[in-house]
Amino acid sequence: MHEAKHSLGVILFPAFDWSISPTHPEREERLLYTQDQLKEEGLFDIEGVDEYKPGVAGREDVERTHFCFPELEAVATRSHLVAAGGCITAADLVMQGKAQKAFALVRPPGHHAMKVVHGSRGFCNINIEAVMIEHLREHHGKRRIAVVDTDCHHGDGTQDIYWHDPDVLFISLHQDGRTLYPGTGFPKDCGGPGALGRTINVPLPPGTGDEGYMMAMERVVMPILKDFGAEVVINSAGQDNHFTDPITNMNLTAQGYARLTELLQADIAVLEGGYSIQGALPYVNLGICLSMAGLDYSGVREPGFDAVRHGQRPQIAEYLAKLCDTLPELYFNPPSLSEAMQDGKIEKQDGGEWFVRHKDIYYDTDGISEAQTESLLLCDSCRGLLKVLSRSTRNPDCLGVEIPLGACPRCREKGLSMYEEAQSRDGYRYTQLINRADRKYERHGF
Amino acid sequence: MYLGIDVGGTHTDAVALDESGIAAQAKVKTDHNDLLASVNAALEGILTTVPPGEVTQLNLSTTLSTNAIVQGTTEDVGMLVVAGTGIHAGDFMLCKDYHALAGSIDHRGSEIERLDTDEVKAAVESCRKAGVKVFGCVGKFSTRNPLHENTIRQLVGPLGEGGADAVTLGHELGGRLNFPRRLATAYFNCAVWRVFNQFADAVEKSLGRLGLGHVRVNTLKADGGTFPLAQARKMPVQSIFSGPAASVMGIIALCDITHDSVILDIGGTTTDIAIFVDGQPLVEHDGIHIGSHPTLVRALKVHSIGIGGDSAISVLGEAVRVGPNRLGPSQADCVEPGCACASDARPTLLDALNCIGACAHGNVEASRQAVAQFAACHSIGPDVLARQAVEAAAEAIHKATRELVDEINDKPVYTIHELLEGRRVAPRRVYIMGGPAFAMKEPLRQRFELFTVVPEHAGVANAIGAALTRNTASLELFADTERGVMFIPALGHRENVPRSYNLKDAERDALNHLLAHLSEMGVFADADNAQVNHATSFNMVSDGATTGRNIRVKCQIKPGVAFTLNGRPNGQTGQTRTGR
Repeated sequence: MHEAKHSLGVILFPAFDWSISPTHPEREERLLYTQDQLKEEGLFDIEGVDEYKPGVAGREDVERTHFCFPELEAVATRSHLVAAGGCITAADLVMQGKAQKAFALVRPPGHHAMKVVHGSRGFCNINIEAVMIEHLREHHGKRRIAVVDTDCHHGDGTQDIYWHDPDVLFISLHQDGRTLYPGTGFPKDCGGPGALGRTINVPLPPGTGDEGYMMAMERVVMPILKDFGAEVVINSAGQDNHFTDPITNMNLTAQGYARLTELLQADIAVLEGGYSIQGALPYVNLGICLSMAGLDYSGVREPGFDAVRHGQRPQIAEYLAKLCDTLPELYFNPPSLSEAMQDGKIEKQDGGEWFVRHKDIYYDTDGISEAQTESLLLCDSCRGLLKVLSRSTRNPDCLGVEIPLGACPRCREKGLSMYEEAQSRDGYRYTQLINRADRKYERHGF
Repeated sequence: MYLGIDVGGTHTDAVALDESGIAAQAKVKTDHNDLLASVNAALEGILTTVPPGEVTQLNLSTTLSTNAIVQGTTEDVGMLVVAGTGIHAGDFMLCKDYHALAGSIDHRGSEIERLDTDEVKAAVESCRKAGVKVFGCVGKFSTRNPLHENTIRQLVGPLGEGGADAVTLGHELGGRLNFPRRLATAYFNCAVWRVFNQFADAVEKSLGRLGLGHVRVNTLKADGGTFPLAQARKMPVQSIFSGPAASVMGIIALCDITHDSVILDIGGTTTDIAIFVDGQPLVEHDGIHIGSHPTLVRALKVHSIGIGGDSAISVLGEAVRVGPNRLGPSQADCVEPGCACASDARPTLLDALNCIGACAHGNVEASRQAVAQFAACHSIGPDVLARQAVEAAAEAIHKATRELVDEINDKPVYTIHELLEGRRVAPRRVYIMGGPAFAMKEPLRQRFELFTVVPEHAGVANAIGAALTRNTASLELFADTERGVMFIPALGHRENVPRSYNLKDAERDALNHLLAHLSEMGVFADADNAQVNHATSFNMVSDGATTGRNIRVKCQIKPGVAFTLNGRPNGQTGQTRTGR
């Protein structure tokens, strides 16, 4: 029998007792056929490939990452905590050397969940990758992390959480936002003032197939990744680019997925979307597992595959070639602050310069509208203090204050006093403090 | 009267017993080159006190199939394999007459690619040319749809001259999903088929000669159950590695186990550790390995470590260790009374137990000498060495047990309910058997800090277990109401079901088919012992509308014994217990 070239830990948690609603794409049945396929292939009997039970994320794991209003229990169910816990288990496996690579095959997904959470958007409540990244930083001393999001939908949640973080490189490959939810993720969106060029969006035209994805990987993702030099590379492995997916329009195949995975060599992969549960997921997941383990995946072929029908139109290759010429520039020579600031402005408040932007966010799954003002204290010695004012159709005025990892004494002091003042000034219904400097996470008002 | 014979690695044990207790027992050395002779000798030993007419049943646990595989006396098998999409069929090549054929069935049981009958015929022809007489036909997802396996079966031709002597179809091995295991299991079943059937013929002939022609003969399986010899002739692979199961079932017959418990069978070279949950032995999640090949053969979860009465004591730096090497029998066993030990004699765990006064086995003086000499070489006091050796053995057994329990508790689960509220196994009692059981009882009780029991007759618990083990069987049912089909792979039973078919119907059908199957084999099975182990039903949704249900049910006759020997009023089989 064969042996894995890279040992692989798979956290397979299909949550067979949880769904958003009985006929929702995110339902009990979603990973059933994937589990059947992996078992029938005898994947876990292969030397070096093992299955692990997920842990459960705790309150602190989430509150280190998100502002949850009104509180964690109101926005995340147990299944979300298990999905996030599965990612943490994946990270621990790799960090403790129990496996060289890990794949968290968990549900529900998380990449549409932003820094502030009032409910569910795009089937996501808490950002399971972000919870994992902050766990890696808090417990394993990692700092520089790269996330390559290959889900067909723009990973707007992950982008939002790391918008101001120069130590997290976020690259999203997705179907062009002009044609698909959530309608964002354009090249001009390339990070906040302190992290310009650390968010790279690669919008792909509908109909992009294996060659198009490989072109974007080879010409955009890999050179940037190489230069960035991440300590940990994470793949948000959504599988809705598959040609059979019912809610998207791409032409990627199981072979394409496996090749992409092989090229990327991510340390940890996390399942995101993907709703062609019979025709795609069993084969794509098998392809990803084999590819991550360094095993031969050439026999993996989905039943509906037709090389002619699922080929990519030549115009797409031309369009992509031009796009791939310009995108790496965003990383290697990011635009100047003034050019990149179309979504915000700099304001002077109590003796400091703040970058301020307003956001209106719609939570499609739960039908919530949120209005948000995010302010970042521009600081030369650290990432800067973050303050978020938020109000939604579900919650009145809420305040979130984050003293970032590696905060300078000035930002730390200012954050603490700002949070204290907010308590006494009584203007907010809910407040939350993420104090990464002292590893303290507090909430008030409930 | 029930007869049990356990052909073990060193000894062949036999007992005859009924509800009033043990009537006869026999122990002979196992001759690995002639297992039949060992069985005959054990039978003859029993028949010196028990009249043949009183015997109604013989249960046989044998290492025959295992030996055949280890010694390479198996025969060539023609493997006809339909691997479909996924990992390449060539990666699983088990033997030289291995033919990977075109064709594909998916996870729902839909035929994706048809079988090429010309290719199959050519493969069968090439096997025949090579002199192959037994065939295994295995397809990926054949447990969802056996179409390809059945077609190949037809093409191989009828049993007998010109066709094949035996054919194993993958789906008949059970409904579990695991194609490589299905392949290996079918292969080994074919490979030992002839050896096993020749042995079965010989045993039946012996029984006739000894006046036992009328007895029901069952064969032990590794999962703590038996199956009739007629059935074993078709599925000999199931008889593999039944030894540890015989011992575990022996403990059930001797003790009234109701809690989560640890069972320790301390032998000469190894200690077998088994775990009971709520008084039931745990069955291995997947199946045993034969050589380096994982299979679908169900087995009780038994973990072996290299510590036994004959394990050598060693000193490494400051630490005293026991095992895993066995350098020979203990000094207590091999030195004649009155003789001196060899100066380089290596003492064993049994010698250490003799020294600390835990037992008085064989030549105690020889044990003392050997331990004293060995201790002197390492500048330790002999008492200290003996005590530390026993403690080290108890510690190693405790550690391995803890790891086994952790492994059981860390087994993946697939629902939030099981993950967050699933029951954790926490043993509350320890049952010990095997040669050094009494001597190791106190050290183990101190280490485990649990209620510890050594049953009487612990020395022949394996044969008692063999004698009293009941028939077991298990099957899986798979139904897809969108397609309107229900399929029980192990029985090759496929029928149409209405769209309204639900989980309750499936559970009922599974149990009924299981009981009917047993009665067809001429086995009486109490319906109370039949249980559903696993039952799930998933709504299948397509384009936002529910299109049907995907139902999976597993059921079994749970392992157990015909009757127990504990709590007899005459105290003949009472237990010795020590509380904390």
